[in-house]
Amino acid sequence: MGILVDNETRVIVQGITGRIGAVQTHWMLDYGTRVVGGVTPGKGGSTVEGLPVFDNVEQAVRETGATASVFFVPAPFVLDAFLETIDAGIKLIVVVPEHIPVNDVMKMRDYAVAKGVFALGPTTPGILVPGKSKIGIMPASLFAPGRVGIISRSGTLSYEFAGILSESHVGQSAVVGMGADPVVLTNLTDILRLFEEDPDTDGVIIVGEVGGEQEERAAGFVVEQMTKPVAAYICGRYSPPGKRMGHAGAIVRGSTGTVEGKQAALGWAGVEVLESPVHVAAWAKAHCLR
Amino acid sequence: MRLHEFEAADIFESMGIPVARRGVASSVQEAVHVAGEIGYPVMLKAQVLVGSRGLAGGIKSASSPEELKAAAEQLLTSEVNGFPVRKILVAEKAEIAKELYVGVTVHGYTGRPVIVASTEGGMHIEETARTSPEKIASIQVDPTVGFYPYQARALLRKLGLGHNLLNAITDVIAQLYKVFTRFEALIVEINPLAVLPNGGLLAVDAVLEIDDSALSRLRPLLPDPVERVENPRERRGKEIGVTYVDLDGDIGLISSGAGLGMASMDIIAHTMKPANFLETGGGITADLLYKCMDLVMMKPGLRAILINVYGGINPIHEGAKGVVRYIREHNVRIPIVAKALGNHQEETWEIFRSGGIHVVIDPATERAVERLFELVGAE
Repeated sequence: MGILVDNETRVIVQGITGRIGAVQTHWMLDYGTRVVGGVTPGKGGSTVEGLPVFDNVEQAVRETGATASVFFVPAPFVLDAFLETIDAGIKLIVVVPEHIPVNDVMKMRDYAVAKGVFALGPTTPGILVPGKSKIGIMPASLFAPGRVGIISRSGTLSYEFAGILSESHVGQSAVVGMGADPVVLTNLTDILRLFEEDPDTDGVIIVGEVGGEQEERAAGFVVEQMTKPVAAYICGRYSPPGKRMGHAGAIVRGSTGTVEGKQAALGWAGVEVLESPVHVAAWAKAHCLR
Repeated sequence: MRLHEFEAADIFESMGIPVARRGVASSVQEAVHVAGEIGYPVMLKAQVLVGSRGLAGGIKSASSPEELKAAAEQLLTSEVNGFPVRKILVAEKAEIAKELYVGVTVHGYTGRPVIVASTEGGMHIEETARTSPEKIASIQVDPTVGFYPYQARALLRKLGLGHNLLNAITDVIAQLYKVFTRFEALIVEINPLAVLPNGGLLAVDAVLEIDDSALSRLRPLLPDPVERVENPRERRGKEIGVTYVDLDGDIGLISSGAGLGMASMDIIAHTMKPANFLETGGGITADLLYKCMDLVMMKPGLRAILINVYGGINPIHEGAKGVVRYIREHNVRIPIVAKALGNHQEETWEIFRSGGIHVVIDPATERAVERLFELVGAE
């Protein structure tokens, strides 16, 4: 099964006629994702990879029965497209683009929460359920089917962890990029809950980073509600405090959000804190995860 | 992008917030001139893009031209927290009855703007937050509905601030919130907001950090974000559109994501010292990685380079061509280890190998760093 998506999920690609949108549509179809169409305002009536392109989302939903959407829309236009997508009735939105202004993200988050829409990002690689479907940009070769869930703030580190596990013959039930921005559309705790409730997941890995309070909040959730084993890795120990590292979320503000603080909170919650990504294989083996 | 105090103060004033009289000086003579126009006593404040200047000796006062000359001379030849002082702000030294704090920032977890106020403004606000949290109050704003003055009044009530100050502080908070939204800030702050003996208010400092992702749509309102970067390599990074942070080691790094880059630094730091952090984001091309190689190689004394990239959204086979072209054109001799996995990985390995790069195909960065350590140790 896996969380959020399966091979029945009908997906549209917004910004499908752009260079990245078209290439990634190809990779998604190649993986088995049920991509059913795309949207680019002004390009309605054309096709990409044999799929119909529509001018607006409502039309695309009506014609294709899509329930999920992935964004390759230029950052300045994302807010507008996002509100349109929610109004069209889509229930799962993956916002891949980076550099979306925080002011826009706050409005997007607010609207998604009010309308009960599950959204990932911004700056997310999306979600991949090995052997079933992927919505986003994750490179398929690193993943293998199995029973470990991964949630990562960083896109590239989610590939790293999946790659290390797959190499050690430990598969994944689903890999979720939650997005690297200072404000994200869905918080870590909400994704953790999905894995806790998923009958096909036996253990969860949190890949966090310096800055923000996502991991500290997740530690509270683990104590109160998690029954499955959890491991966590937090990058950024060597990052100079206060210096910007590309993720605004990685700015260390005062004593909150430090690597040490996050590790302590997670350790206190009974989470196995990994000092390096490579240690994840031993953790999975110790818990007989496959 | 963080603005200098003098830049933020002008913006605050243009939005109707009362700000202390002031002028900027880059020399002792200019400082004397500005102080003469304002009248003594004055404050002298180092204009550096770093917090806690007061605690680091970057703020002085002068009550005569002689004191001013000495203080200005001293500040303009100093560094504050590692930042050289090129400009100082000379401002009126107001008589202050009470120091308040007001600020607006983004609450990362709830995704809402949050207004923060305190009756204990000044240099030790962070300590106050730890030791006397009851002296700090905050209120979150619905990003769609926006701010309304009743919220500021509720906030001030929590702090026991009312009576004659209620409407004046509410006005300042309302204007500050307008700065926050109009300039797409991550943080706006007045610390201290001075209460004068006559009951008036005066902003004695101005902090404004703007969301880098919003800079393109704010451009006409703002100074150039590139030229203010002091470090030449970090400035070059901004020019070519990558995040580069200069560090004090000798192992260069090119990564295709911030998390991967930070993890790579952490792993390198087990045995060696990173020379830099560099993260390309999702825009890799042959040309971009050529420029990234050039940027990383600007660092003197570099001993080796780790390239750690994934082909998810990035065409890493294109990027590899740029790296190899740079190596050939510049006859690069230091060892380079590349870990490159994902779409087009085999093609990427071929290209890297053709340039004499050591390719590691294990998904663990640890293995690539071990290979790098062997090569550096073998020299």
